Amino acid sequence: MLKIGLSGVRGVVGPSMPPTMVMDFASAFGAFIDRKPVVVGRDTRIHSPMLRAACVSALLSSGCDVLDLGVCPTPLLQKAVRRRKAGGGVSITAGHNDVSWNALAFIGPDGSPLNPFQGEEVLDYYHLGRFERAAVDHLGRLIPVPTAETADFYFKELGAFIEAAAVRAARFRVVIDACAGAGAPFLVRFADTLGFDLIPLNDEPNGFFPHDPEPRPRNAAQCASVVRAAGAEAGFLLNSDAGRVSLVSETAEALSEEYTFPLVADSVLARCSGPVVTNNSTSRMIEDVARARRCPLIRTRVGPAPIFLALAQEDGILAGEGSGGVAVPAFQPAFDAFLTMGLVLETMAKTGQRLSALVDRLPRYHIVKEKVYCPASRIHGVISEIARMFRGRDVDTGDGIRVEDKQGWVQVRASGTEPMLRVVAEDRSRERAREKVDEILRSLERMIP
Amino acid sequence: MKSATTLKISISGARGIIGDSLTPQLAAALAQAFGTYVGGGPVLVGRDARSSGIMLAEAVVSGLLAVGCRPVDVGILPIPSFLYLTKEVRAAGGIAVTASHNPREWNGLKFISRRGLYLTPQQTEEYLDIYHQGAFDFVAAGKFRTIEVLPRAADAHLRRLLNRFDGEAIRRRRIRVVLDCNNGAGAVLGPRFLRELGCDVVPLACDPTGEFVHPSEPTPENIAGVCRAVKTARADIGFVQDADADRLAIIDERGRPLGEEMTLVWAASRVLEKTKGSIVCNMSSTRALDDLAARHGVKIFRTRIGEVNVVEKVLAARPRAVIGGEGNGGVIDPEIHPCRDSFAAMGHVLDALAAGHKPVSALAGALPRYVLLKDRIEGSAERAHRLIRVLRKRYEDKGTVNLLDGLKVDFPDHWIHLRPSNTEPVIRVLAEAKTEIRARRALAALRGEIAAAWRKI
Repeated sequence: MLKIGLSGVRGVVGPSMPPTMVMDFASAFGAFIDRKPVVVGRDTRIHSPMLRAACVSALLSSGCDVLDLGVCPTPLLQKAVRRRKAGGGVSITAGHNDVSWNALAFIGPDGSPLNPFQGEEVLDYYHLGRFERAAVDHLGRLIPVPTAETADFYFKELGAFIEAAAVRAARFRVVIDACAGAGAPFLVRFADTLGFDLIPLNDEPNGFFPHDPEPRPRNAAQCASVVRAAGAEAGFLLNSDAGRVSLVSETAEALSEEYTFPLVADSVLARCSGPVVTNNSTSRMIEDVARARRCPLIRTRVGPAPIFLALAQEDGILAGEGSGGVAVPAFQPAFDAFLTMGLVLETMAKTGQRLSALVDRLPRYHIVKEKVYCPASRIHGVISEIARMFRGRDVDTGDGIRVEDKQGWVQVRASGTEPMLRVVAEDRSRERAREKVDEILRSLERMIP
Repeated sequence: MKSATTLKISISGARGIIGDSLTPQLAAALAQAFGTYVGGGPVLVGRDARSSGIMLAEAVVSGLLAVGCRPVDVGILPIPSFLYLTKEVRAAGGIAVTASHNPREWNGLKFISRRGLYLTPQQTEEYLDIYHQGAFDFVAAGKFRTIEVLPRAADAHLRRLLNRFDGEAIRRRRIRVVLDCNNGAGAVLGPRFLRELGCDVVPLACDPTGEFVHPSEPTPENIAGVCRAVKTARADIGFVQDADADRLAIIDERGRPLGEEMTLVWAASRVLEKTKGSIVCNMSSTRALDDLAARHGVKIFRTRIGEVNVVEKVLAARPRAVIGGEGNGGVIDPEIHPCRDSFAAMGHVLDALAAGHKPVSALAGALPRYVLLKDRIEGSAERAHRLIRVLRKRYEDKGTVNLLDGLKVDFPDHWIHLRPSNTEPVIRVLAEAKTEIRARRALAALRGEIAAAWRKI
């Protein structure tokens, strides 16, 4: 199973993702980077060292120096790209996908995921299949970067961006579940930076994920029970590269990952105003939050490439998606779980409100998400059949189909990472949202036996 | 004329040019085939000191991981230490990233069996079948193994060497040695080994950076600078290792190179003084070895070119082989490990020096000696083959023709040899006789014959 997209390549490790293919992609990226240094980091998956070795080898062969960060969360890698004025970065991680997946995520020179134009260029090199090779005197050098150096720079900046003093004064007790991922080795450093009392969970960076590394309520049971037992003020659940985060309130309620973005957005937009960017399967909560702060909201197709392109083009001050990823370009144009956690704690500290109270202030919507297997060859046919169900309505076909009504919306689109159709509906009423999704699932059952 | 290919996959492993034929993709695919062939388990990954080694080692590691092997990274290591270690730690096999003496734009992979030996031609065939068919045993995501890093990987070999050589006798002489590693892999062990033997070491180019200070092949014309250093340092002897430290050249106390051929002659002479047994060498090694065998009343076996062929015979020879090697300075001491080992060669030479109470020039002067001239002609193996078919007829009634490997013709006072290289697209041409004049004349005659035949083929 393999997905080749604008922001990298992603697949189930095994025969369909051999080292030679990883090398072809890294070589294409090397050609795009054109002999400038590249920062490489990886998550803790047991096959990540294979992808790393293949990637490093190909980049050296393309004539790019490789700054090897070792195990490193993607947001720390993205900071390192900018700090070291590198030509780009490669983060080896499948983020929220289960343990059998892995991916190369390509980062541009500005530290954000490649935009669609850059992504197209890399794909063109990949499809061309002929890669420039450096002669022996122009091979790249492999330069290991100590973890402490990467962390020092990142957390110093983070400590300056967040009002650390306010957080420190609040003396929070916080549970963080790193899911044995790349964030694990940095939890203590993060807690020291903001001065809270850390209860780490699954913080051995060994890649044996105790649950799917997707931050969402069904994976948050352990985190929630520790929050309850410890009487913590907040719980956080990270994905495998610490790009996304979902929240557990002090009442031990595992909150939908959809809450992360609007909750942080309110406090960011309180500081300054400007355009907000999200994708078109993210909850309507953000629309209400942005409207209340008089900020324009831009919706894009799903995937990091379109979001970060819009963020740059529209001079956005905030981007996020319903999966728990939040980016504040004033800090860096990257989905960043450490920044997100910091902003949540800062909001709690400055408002003096509990996490459950902050969530209660948000407009309530209910989101129902389902996914259905669909062979890649049939995806577009199936989507156009579904579109006919909505004849006469205003159907947005920018990415699959999306249909709005007064109370909410429903969307059917191809997954960017798997041969799946995602069906998402949101509504003021949980029942209506469920009914919208079920209606489509029934039709899909007829179309895909 | 067709241009020669820059990629060579043979029983000597794979070699190619960085930035051209030898890509990470190729190295990973070869490693996948090898990992599939050995069926998983620990596989050592080492390299010589070339700057392109890291790039290829990473590619090899990725290929091994993908087929479920456990790569053991031993870093920069002399090839004999690597071979010895593979057997010693009971690895499933090893892949060494090295192009031994080839120029710096080259690099390559050598494949090593669990016994610490290069793959035999038959094993190579089996493993290359996997490569050509693309029948790799990729493992599922959950079956991946980790990478192990083995520091101080040369220590095992060092202990074995010190066990083999009588440290006390050598130590008493306080031999002053100029050691030139040419910044190759030998630097990892060479100075340490000699100091452990109590030598007074003058190190030259002993940083394993892969930045060669002279062409890597330790021929007399390439090591003139080292010869001067031996004189300046008033050393008793000079040693020059090739890039992966399997071959050794010797310089006498007056700064004169003995010639690569003499390394094996000297080591063999010393070993035979202590233990009787057969000599094994390849077809283009010096005739001095035959003289030595006659002097000691032992058998000598000659094999096709290629270390693997010599090693196989070393293991199979009856009466048992006590010494083997190649005329290019590669000495095999089966007591230590059946592979070419410049450290073993140094050990035997120092041992002879300590026992002999004479300077190097005097000891070397007592050994049988010929003049061997080596030349090369650009040309593919295919062309060499056609050349041989024409030339063998010319020589059939003049001398004893041997077609075991290329064309070798023995005459009473000299011999000539012509064969395609296993590692480069060139045809090697050799002639040996008692005197330089006679050897030159033999080589010139052979080149004349080649020039005449060249037009016909």
